[in-house]
Amino acid sequence: MMKAAILAAGEGRRLWPLTQHRPKPMLPVGNRPLLEYVIEAVAAAGIEEIILVVGYQRSRIQTHFGDGDQWDVDIEYVVQERQLGTGHAVAQLQPHVDDHEEFIVLNGDRLIEQTLVEAVRDAPTDAAATVGVTRVEDPQRYGVVTTDGDRLLNIEEKPTQTSSQIINAGVYRLSPTIFEQIEQANRTADGESALTTAISDLAADQPVGVVRYSDTWTDVTQLWDVLSVNDDVLARRECPTTGVQHDTAVVTDRVCCAADSTVGPNATVNRGTALGTNVSVGAGAVVSNSIVFPDATIEPGAVVADSIVGQNVTIGPNTTVTGGTATVTIEGTQYEDITLGAAIGDNTRIGGGVVIEPGTIIGDSSTVGDGAVIQGQIDSETTVVRG
Amino acid sequence: MCGIIGYIGTGDVLGIVQQGLQNLEYRGYDSAGIALNNGSLSVYKREGDVETLRSACPTDSTATSAIGHTRWSTHGPPTDVNAHPHTSCDGDVAVVHNGIIENYETLQAELSTHTFRSDTDTEVIPHLIEARLAAGESPLQAIESTTEQLAGSFAFVVTIAGDERLFAVRKDSPLVVGHSEDGQYLGSDVPAFVEHTKTVSYLEDGDIAVLSPNKVEVYRNGRLIDLERTTVDWEASAAEKGGYEHYMRKEIHEQPTALRQTISGRIDTEAGSVDLELDLDASYLQSLEAIQIVACGTSYYAGEYAARLLESLAEIQTTVTVASEYTTTGSQDTWNTLTIAVTQSGETADTLSALRTAASAGGKTLAVTNTLGSTVTRVADESCFIRAGPEIGVAATKTFVSQVATLALLSVYIARQRETLTPGKATSHLEALRSVPGAIQQVLDAEARITAVAEEYAESDAFFFIGRHLGYPVSLEGALKLKEISYDHAEGFPAGELKHGPLALVTENTPVLAVLTDGAQPEKTHNNIKEVQARGAPVIGCSSLNDDRLLDEQFAVPDVGLFEPLVANVYWQLFAYHVAASKGRPIDKPRNLAKSVTVE
Repeated sequence: MMKAAILAAGEGRRLWPLTQHRPKPMLPVGNRPLLEYVIEAVAAAGIEEIILVVGYQRSRIQTHFGDGDQWDVDIEYVVQERQLGTGHAVAQLQPHVDDHEEFIVLNGDRLIEQTLVEAVRDAPTDAAATVGVTRVEDPQRYGVVTTDGDRLLNIEEKPTQTSSQIINAGVYRLSPTIFEQIEQANRTADGESALTTAISDLAADQPVGVVRYSDTWTDVTQLWDVLSVNDDVLARRECPTTGVQHDTAVVTDRVCCAADSTVGPNATVNRGTALGTNVSVGAGAVVSNSIVFPDATIEPGAVVADSIVGQNVTIGPNTTVTGGTATVTIEGTQYEDITLGAAIGDNTRIGGGVVIEPGTIIGDSSTVGDGAVIQGQIDSETTVVRG
Repeated sequence: MCGIIGYIGTGDVLGIVQQGLQNLEYRGYDSAGIALNNGSLSVYKREGDVETLRSACPTDSTATSAIGHTRWSTHGPPTDVNAHPHTSCDGDVAVVHNGIIENYETLQAELSTHTFRSDTDTEVIPHLIEARLAAGESPLQAIESTTEQLAGSFAFVVTIAGDERLFAVRKDSPLVVGHSEDGQYLGSDVPAFVEHTKTVSYLEDGDIAVLSPNKVEVYRNGRLIDLERTTVDWEASAAEKGGYEHYMRKEIHEQPTALRQTISGRIDTEAGSVDLELDLDASYLQSLEAIQIVACGTSYYAGEYAARLLESLAEIQTTVTVASEYTTTGSQDTWNTLTIAVTQSGETADTLSALRTAASAGGKTLAVTNTLGSTVTRVADESCFIRAGPEIGVAATKTFVSQVATLALLSVYIARQRETLTPGKATSHLEALRSVPGAIQQVLDAEARITAVAEEYAESDAFFFIGRHLGYPVSLEGALKLKEISYDHAEGFPAGELKHGPLALVTENTPVLAVLTDGAQPEKTHNNIKEVQARGAPVIGCSSLNDDRLLDEQFAVPDVGLFEPLVANVYWQLFAYHVAASKGRPIDKPRNLAKSVTVE
């Protein structure tokens, strides 16, 4: 029986502040971590033994998945102490796979269907490695693949120019020969080793197969992607609305409320919203197209649109996060016309009557005083008062 | 304490029983053994761990049923001979047993022609059965008549050569039957076989069960009865380590989840009310004169926390008594006293005994426990579950937070029924409780810092934990955790008591760990901190103040009102864990300790 290894050690710095206390694969969409969808796809393909390569904030992953019994799989954890690239992550698997046995490798933060896992697993076995590929609109964000028929020629990471729209889908079938390739492959300037470099090297002198896939393939690169993926999941999948809703509360379709969430009198929860466990939405509050992480409190009369509200955040009474589009700057790059009300890090407390303008990003454990008007980016552990 | 596993069926008998023993390791034990039945009996037993036993066993077997046991010594030292199963003279009857046979010496004397090999009380059972079988009784008759002769509290399982069935008897010691398509299981508790089936039946006192591969017959008062089946919602994964080095660390990290389960569906913050599904009505609660809590160990400290809440919120006089010290005296008005037993396992012998004493004096009784179907739920009039999920580490962590949260809900419930708390005030306490899971997650996110501080102070001579009011039980619990798993000398004191004696122990090499949050009167404790700092002791404080300059190390506690000391406790758990880890202690199985203490 083939094993599957899922790479879930990375931090996802671009998704700060959401990744301050959790690794990117643990970001919730439809109230479940991204990684859970990957594990389900693997389990649905009939693979029962999963190795999770974990590192950054690994206790979050281990506490959620345990030994995998809830998904009818056996999960083994392999710790990548320092995150030195996907090649380095795969190299950690060497003591955990048999000498002559092939294994599947997947990314822990991309939504895929079981068919991709099955297609890669069941591809012809004469290749030294097999790579799942898919077609996207914006290939220069990914590893662009050049092929000759069913043979892979090369993977080029984030090329500035490309004529191909075929990209690496991040699902591989590898044999233990890959470990030697990783060892020999060139590292980046930061000393990181990319799995794709090793695979391209391998393709230079041995056949590497490709498997084409055209079903769901979703990547989460930027904060606002989390919102659109959440909405997409709510539209496509069964998502239970449980918890306690007051008789006068309005909860629309395409909403997911966790079992221990509460929605107060005359509150409204609109499309595209996921309320996590132990979330409380107070009387008369309105939440639309937003993800509210566990333990957060939205107090009476608040309005929250197009936002990601971190764990244990409090949004005070009558505070307004207007939502809509804005220009957002992430790590020095400007992105225009982005739909994002606010992204608020864990444990931040926002007072009453605050106005948060579109595109605002607030770090974790910060405090925003009553009546403040805020925009742009606010660091962690910062106090903002009305000027 | 001792653990029992039994299996009959078409599965891998040897493997299932060995795995069952491994699952029972958490209860604490010093020797283990197995009896395989494939027409004749083969018995393997060893002092030491299950791995040692495994290497003494064959690698496979044709057995169709087997019994296994982990022993925590009470009668006789841990040796190969004293390990269970024990056998009859001819080796055709093997028995594993939990509990105590009080009259074993008398019974041994009556079996003068039999040769006894061990120092245990258990060994009389196979010999008595052997004698009955020799007198022509059927196996079931022999077990029934043997049981009649035994005095004490016990659960035992019997396997007999030439009869593939397993026989089980329960009296005052827990025993659970598991049902699956591949066979039937017996366990001293559910984790023994939880990966195979979640459909279980709890035996009651006096029951005799006869297990065949596809059915279980239970005799109660000599008559065959229909056994009620229930489904446990324990995930087998919860009984495994899931990538953590120790169950204790895993369970510390599970606290936000455990606590959300504890409060789930029980609070209505709009109305300021609590629903615990208890049959304790307003007129009864208004007529109550006093509450007495009986408990042991960590549960006792949870009781101390609760007593302070009950007195301040529900305005009712509350006493907390270590269960083994509990007696009824003329000072109690038993009719108007509610007795609350707090026990994680629901099987703690001292607590059960205290609860029975209280019940016989005529008062109402309430059990607060983690274990459905446990003995305490049958002894008490009412039961309230803490819903923490299975806890395997011997050092209790998540069950403490869930016990305090459950008792806090109970306090608010009683206070509302007695009309000593307005709905508005109840709402603010309930909202604070709802914020505790998130606050604990913040502490967990700070683990790296706690690790660094723990490692810095790990080699200290002793550790003193101080606090006031709600901070005092947390200080006791903090000290207990540290001593249990690191074997360091640690004591908890009310902060104000230091100067009345313990201050003589304080030196520059005895860190003082202080709870300085809301609910713990931090201003007063500041004076005590100055006292110890004057003697050169470093002070580590859990504080909800932003910047506490007095402290050598400060851990921040978020604003959650009366529950801030409960959040501070998570810092102490992680501190204890990392001190013990830095010393390489066997954290999940500390020396001499057992999880569920079923002897008095």
